[in-house]
Amino acid sequence: MDKPAASKVINMERIREIVMECGGHKWALIPVIQKIQNEFGYIPPEAIHVIAIGLKIFPSQVQGVISFYAQFYTKPRGRQVITVCRGTACHVRGGESLLEMLENGLGIKEGETTADMEYSLETVACIGVCALAPNVVIGKEVYGKMDTQKIEQLLKKGEA
Amino acid sequence: MQEFTVTLNGREVAAEPGMTILELARREGVHIPTICHEPHLAPAGGCPSISSCRVCIVEEERSGNLITSCGAFVTPGMVINTASQRVLERRRTIVELMLASHPDSCMVCLKGNRCQLRQVAADMGIGLVRFQRIPLMSTITDANPFIKRNLSKCILCAKCIRACQELVIEGAVDYYRRGFVARPATAGDTPLEESECTFCGTCVAMCPTGALMEAEPLYRGTAGTSVPTTCPFCGCGCTVRLKVKEGRVVRVIPNNDDPVTRGTLCVKGSYGFDFIQSRDRLTTPLIKVDDHFEAASWEEAFNVITAEFKRIKSRYGSNSLAVFGSSKCTNEENYLLQRFARCVLGTNNIDNGSRLYGTPGLTSCDPASGFFGATNSLTAMEKADVILVVGADPTVSAPLVGYTIKRAVRCMDAKLVLIDPRETRLSMFAETWLRPKVGTDLILLNGMAKAIIDEGLHDAEISEETIDFKAFAKSLSAYTAAFVEKATGVPYTEIVKAAREYATSGKAAIVYGHGITQHVNGTDAIKALTNLALLTGSRSKGTCIYPLQKENNAQGACDMGALPDFLPGYQQVSDLKSRRTFEDYWGIIPAAAGLTAFEMIKGAKAGTIKGMYIVGENPAASFPNSKFVSEALSSLNFLVVQDLFMTRTAKLSNVVLPAASFAEKEGTFTSFDGRVNWLTKAVQPPGQSIPDWDIVIKLAARMGHAMFYSSPREVREEIGKLVPLYKGIGYGSPEEPLDQVRAKGGFRSPLVYRKRPDRIPSFYLVHMTATPDRTNGEYPFLLLTGSNLYHFAGGTRTSRAPRLRKYSLDAFVDIGEADAEKLEVSEGDRLRIASSTSEIVATARISDTLPERVVFMPFALACNPVSQLLDIILDLERKTPIVKCVSVKIERIGSHGQAGSKQSN
Repeated sequence: MDKPAASKVINMERIREIVMECGGHKWALIPVIQKIQNEFGYIPPEAIHVIAIGLKIFPSQVQGVISFYAQFYTKPRGRQVITVCRGTACHVRGGESLLEMLENGLGIKEGETTADMEYSLETVACIGVCALAPNVVIGKEVYGKMDTQKIEQLLKKGEA
Repeated sequence: MQEFTVTLNGREVAAEPGMTILELARREGVHIPTICHEPHLAPAGGCPSISSCRVCIVEEERSGNLITSCGAFVTPGMVINTASQRVLERRRTIVELMLASHPDSCMVCLKGNRCQLRQVAADMGIGLVRFQRIPLMSTITDANPFIKRNLSKCILCAKCIRACQELVIEGAVDYYRRGFVARPATAGDTPLEESECTFCGTCVAMCPTGALMEAEPLYRGTAGTSVPTTCPFCGCGCTVRLKVKEGRVVRVIPNNDDPVTRGTLCVKGSYGFDFIQSRDRLTTPLIKVDDHFEAASWEEAFNVITAEFKRIKSRYGSNSLAVFGSSKCTNEENYLLQRFARCVLGTNNIDNGSRLYGTPGLTSCDPASGFFGATNSLTAMEKADVILVVGADPTVSAPLVGYTIKRAVRCMDAKLVLIDPRETRLSMFAETWLRPKVGTDLILLNGMAKAIIDEGLHDAEISEETIDFKAFAKSLSAYTAAFVEKATGVPYTEIVKAAREYATSGKAAIVYGHGITQHVNGTDAIKALTNLALLTGSRSKGTCIYPLQKENNAQGACDMGALPDFLPGYQQVSDLKSRRTFEDYWGIIPAAAGLTAFEMIKGAKAGTIKGMYIVGENPAASFPNSKFVSEALSSLNFLVVQDLFMTRTAKLSNVVLPAASFAEKEGTFTSFDGRVNWLTKAVQPPGQSIPDWDIVIKLAARMGHAMFYSSPREVREEIGKLVPLYKGIGYGSPEEPLDQVRAKGGFRSPLVYRKRPDRIPSFYLVHMTATPDRTNGEYPFLLLTGSNLYHFAGGTRTSRAPRLRKYSLDAFVDIGEADAEKLEVSEGDRLRIASSTSEIVATARISDTLPERVVFMPFALACNPVSQLLDIILDLERKTPIVKCVSVKIERIGSHGQAGSKQSN
């Protein structure tokens, strides 16, 4: 992500630009919010009104789509997003305790972000690489065959 | 595709392409339960239903599929079973799953026996649910007095969401989140009053369960009787159903059978009816003795009136008497009233309340195509490709028209060209929004006409089909880009863009309101609009013009000849032949045109009018310069007022007659687009009050002029005979379903004022060269007036509807950011607003879109102070007062919360 997610002032001008770039058609809603999330790290609630006017739909409709998809966030997220897989395979191989370790290590619960905006901790139902279970995803990188020691190392290294 | 056959429950039946299985089953008399299905939510060409509840599943036996019948089309050879064992079992499970998350509060639920979920469950014999109960939680608290949400009862059928997005187009709610926690929510999940919700009540009427309910209901149960009738507020003519319990109207819901309203209403229609049962209602005739009123019998009241009217007539002549009819009363009543004025009193001094809004002006304007009123129906507006809205905010003044325009834009891809100096709800729907300086509409419209002609976008055969085109085109040479841009303040490129959109988009509709009619050059601006309509082919493509009307029967009152210069059906009173037609039925009619409403008031002040009979109007409160009007009315020798309430005007009278409200009588109203709607008696009038038509007939008889009508129906039959516009209206009665009456051809609904085939439309040469600036050093601000969604007209009725009163009572004034900063005004401050006539106090609301030196204040607040600021300046041609704007000065007198002046009506 190019910009720090914690920036307090939202660049509304940039959001307007993104909306206009996508042609102002209502079918562009998902590409528009994806683009905003890519640049800002999340969808600032202030953006909803701007998107609605630009795409000629209602704010409630924009909110409906954002809140439907798990991929969209309306709160700022940490610079590094750690995702623990809770799929069946990962679960039986100890995914649950990995999550617990990370929660304790980072001092946050699932779905939360550390106060310094460095880490967000999330879970996912399955990422599809069950052969490597249990899995943890950091950013876009998948760490397979995780165990408590590897987690400890990561936490120590400060990478997670 | 041709008609084909399918098998329905083992029977071969004929089906048409494009029909859903549900439609076919209903036509064949096969019952399939539904919950989420709602025919009004099926947009033209769109999906017939979204099949969210799954209750209507049926089995297609060839494929073995279970499909939802409301959203699936029939195809040739289908073998449909609506009640196989498999269907019944699945359907039962579906309903049981809904019940598993539904609270056990049926006993105390306001929806009671009207709950569709409960009905469907009962029909299927579902008792206790065998699944584990997982109740939903509802944590929303709405503070408004109209709609209460309890989303623990929501079954996610999405009817409310679709009603909001596809019918009334407010978009206040949509789905929020997903899975088990999904629910309909406003943007930001706020209470309704912080959202775009206008409390129209459409979703409440559609909600199948108790998730959306009326707040603060008059009655908690299910009312026994349901009476179809017509809403008494604005000119849209929405049909409603009054729910009656023990002689009281306890609830109003939209009439779902009306193809025009399609199950919608507005906040006034849904929650403004309780004035009927107000304790303030007049219940007995009152006669003024010295300075107070004493209750009297009808006998005594009629004796006094008869004696006084006869005395004034013999001493000062017939023309010293005047009658003021009502744009709120029925067609039949206005018809009788003008007959009373003309044949009993012997004067053409008869007018109606719509004079205030310029409606009768239409008659003198006589648009090129020869119409009186709207040139097409409201349903045709929805099919337009481009809609030009000038000087009107229908989302507030005529909500049904607002819904129609927004639907055309959002669902039918029409373009909206909006001309309004002020931001309204329509602005966000507009393709082009022109913001001319106040009062420069005529220059802007002529500028648009010139742009169309310059670019050659007008009809090719225009010279042959119309009169005076060449002269018109030549006369526009003065409207150069520089002049128009300077005069109106609108960039010329914007004007050209609007002109192109208007002229090239196909079928056009023009909607105008009081922003046009209540200005100095209002009549000319209407003519300029007519020119625009002619330019792009009012013949070939059928450009329609819709003048919006403020009151329920403004159109009907004028149609019925409650006008000083026209007999019923706009037949000139000066024309001997027209008079003859009516004289055969009524007796002698005077030939000279009478006085308009404001001339009557001025006559009263000058002493030429000695006696007046005012029916259902409150000029002392609703007319401009109320001080002058009150003085004028007080100086009359004799004043009779007939009304529901002791209004400010009634207080000035000598005799007050108690009349019945819309719910207590029968008759017809004509909507602004010419639909004639029935009024059905639902409850008894309170005390001794009787319907206006009855009072007029009885009074006429006392005065020695027998009118042989025993019911409004007989009046209607005469109207059907004598008034060409209403030919055949007498047939049918309110008890008959509308479609049956229509099928007999005896009911002109929806009636369309068609163009006169005998006339070739002509262009008008109307000009305005100087831009008016009515502000000056002493009064530097221009106060614009307008309507209010929650209150109506003088507020006589809406201020007596407790929920409307609760929600919006305080007088507010909108002021632009820059002006507010200069005057050091912040939101909620008390402002003193003074004109040359009077001064009032109002609460400031800061607006980021008002132009500089312009402030806005709506009429129709319960204490209605705005009209005090206005003076009676009449448009010469239409004798309509200029009440759209007035120059004022503004002063901050206190901060938030300090009490201001309050007046009763």
